[in-house]
Amino acid sequence: MLIRPVRDDFVTIGFYLGRVFAVVAAASGAPIVWALFEREWAPLGSFLMMAGIFAVVGVALSRNVRRPPRLDWSHGMVVVALTWLVVPLIGSLPLAMSGHFGNPLDAFFDAMSGLTTTGLALVQDLDHLAGSLNFWRHLLHFLGGQGIIIAALSLFAGGGAITLYLGEARDERILPSVTSTARFIWAVAIVHLVAGVVVLGTIAWQHLGFGPARSFFHALMIFFAGFDTGGFSPMSTSVGYYHSAVFEAFTAVLMVAGAMSFGVHFALWKGRRREVLANLESRTIISTFALTLVLTIIGLAVAGTYGSVFGLTRQGLFQVLSAHSGTGFATVPPVELAAWSGLAFGGMAIAMALGGMGSSTAGGVKALRIGLTLKTIAIEVKEMLLPEGAVVGRGYYQSGKRRLTTDIAQSVMVASLLYVALYLLGTGIALAYGVPLDRALFESVSAGANVGLSVGVTDPSMPVLLEVTYILQMWAGRLEFVALFALLGFVYAWVRGR
Amino acid sequence: MIRRFALVVLVAATLIAGAAAAAAGPVDVEVLLADPEAFQGEVTLTGELVGDYGWRGDGWVWAQLNDDAYAEQPILEDGALSGGNVGVGIRMPHGLAEELGPPGGYRRRGPVVAATGTWVYHDETRGGESYLEVVSLVVVEPGRDLSEDPSWLRLVGGTALLGAAAALWITRKRDEA
Repeated sequence: MLIRPVRDDFVTIGFYLGRVFAVVAAASGAPIVWALFEREWAPLGSFLMMAGIFAVVGVALSRNVRRPPRLDWSHGMVVVALTWLVVPLIGSLPLAMSGHFGNPLDAFFDAMSGLTTTGLALVQDLDHLAGSLNFWRHLLHFLGGQGIIIAALSLFAGGGAITLYLGEARDERILPSVTSTARFIWAVAIVHLVAGVVVLGTIAWQHLGFGPARSFFHALMIFFAGFDTGGFSPMSTSVGYYHSAVFEAFTAVLMVAGAMSFGVHFALWKGRRREVLANLESRTIISTFALTLVLTIIGLAVAGTYGSVFGLTRQGLFQVLSAHSGTGFATVPPVELAAWSGLAFGGMAIAMALGGMGSSTAGGVKALRIGLTLKTIAIEVKEMLLPEGAVVGRGYYQSGKRRLTTDIAQSVMVASLLYVALYLLGTGIALAYGVPLDRALFESVSAGANVGLSVGVTDPSMPVLLEVTYILQMWAGRLEFVALFALLGFVYAWVRGR
Repeated sequence: MIRRFALVVLVAATLIAGAAAAAAGPVDVEVLLADPEAFQGEVTLTGELVGDYGWRGDGWVWAQLNDDAYAEQPILEDGALSGGNVGVGIRMPHGLAEELGPPGGYRRRGPVVAATGTWVYHDETRGGESYLEVVSLVVVEPGRDLSEDPSWLRLVGGTALLGAAAALWITRKRDEA
């Protein structure tokens, strides 16, 4: 029998949502300071409104609760799903008020794209957008990539924290407690933030010849979008704006760091390089990256897109890395990317669909699932070929020796199939609006895998249904479905339960 | 047979002449980006310089030239929204950029220039970049600052909301005590 949620369930969910909103209200202080410093009064007003709403709702939701209630699995999942819906909703207010969006839905699209670290954008006249608004767009990448829930966990430990942690599609507990794991994740981010901004800022200042303040601005924005595999950029021409192989190379380092799981970061931190290379996940991602890179470069070479090895390597490598890590930066315009056909198109689409490592800021199916799927297929084939009664090894190495059980294989297959269904959903809707198949597939995979590369389908004039579909794809893809299904189940139980 | 041959030659000559004319004269950036390979040789692009001037040590200055609706009518001067920006990278010798004034950005309309030079498509010496290498530049309209009115309603409303949140929080803390 389906049990209808009672008042206590709503109070529990509201309490934890309130705490997350309080964290976001505090984070809103950063663009407020930026707008004050830059004297951007119109954006300042909209940031104050946003912070005020987050704060009022946050305090009100947790007002009548004296002790933090115990959070069970379903509550935690609902909190996570709602967080990832409501934060972009309220967070889109400054964007909607900026005058750079056709309607509030477009602003919500960008806020969802920012938080889910996708990078598809409907902002218009980006090149004249206020600095504080640009900062907010990129800060959304940082909050989403590092995990708002992780931020809340770092500050307030509480009962059921593990549920919130898992709900945000992070399944790797690096340290004994969730709180210490959350703090480690933020420590990794801060170290990369400092190093990334210093290196990129120095390149922008000394090599690109920008002014010091603008160098810092570009370095910070590209760090947020690169390390969190987001893909927004402060200028409309993305990373192609910088016209610098050196700048691209260091941006690529950030993309790789962002696509690595925090478990790998921890192992590297501890000097356990051999373990990292032995992991099934690392081996899988290295193999799939090499495969998609070769496919793309052969495709570009056959088409004669670039006439030299330097051109092929620089453009092919950056675009494939951007696609595979789920970042979405580009050094070629969307119209040119749309013209990449054959193997180059296939390589890019596959790279986007596969995505980065689990428990990272990247989206997509994820390397471990791909590795386990291939391992399962190999085991099945071996069992068919070998004589009856022969024992086939089912072990794999992932931070220690593990056994590939039927349950693990099933859950991996289901998740992979859900991603395929998600990619097909957006493709089908775009096809219905007359978008050619290759472009429809590319854009849908880009949205569902939280990549952000575009061949021009994502546009302010796109049909509303397609826009809403991409929003749902970004949301579902980022949460890896579990929290989304939990929310749907909760609503269904509320309506139909007894 | 001769008539057919003559017709083919005439059509081909017209097409070649048309392409040459397109390559030599002013070109819209949107048209250029739609078929960048077709424009080889000297072209003139007109648009607003936005973002930054990158003063490189090799004597070149890099900038972005936007040829879109916002270059004609900024949003802050009641320009209509008309999609994303349409721009390309340009590079010019230091001397051409020295008197340009700050590029466009927030509350700033950059100089609108007519930049004439060679369209370099997939420059292999630069790893496949595409850009306009400018040899001459004319300022069509100098840059200027724009103003944006602060919304007092938002400033006051936002501050009031934050005040209300603080009051709620203090009340809760008192209740807990």
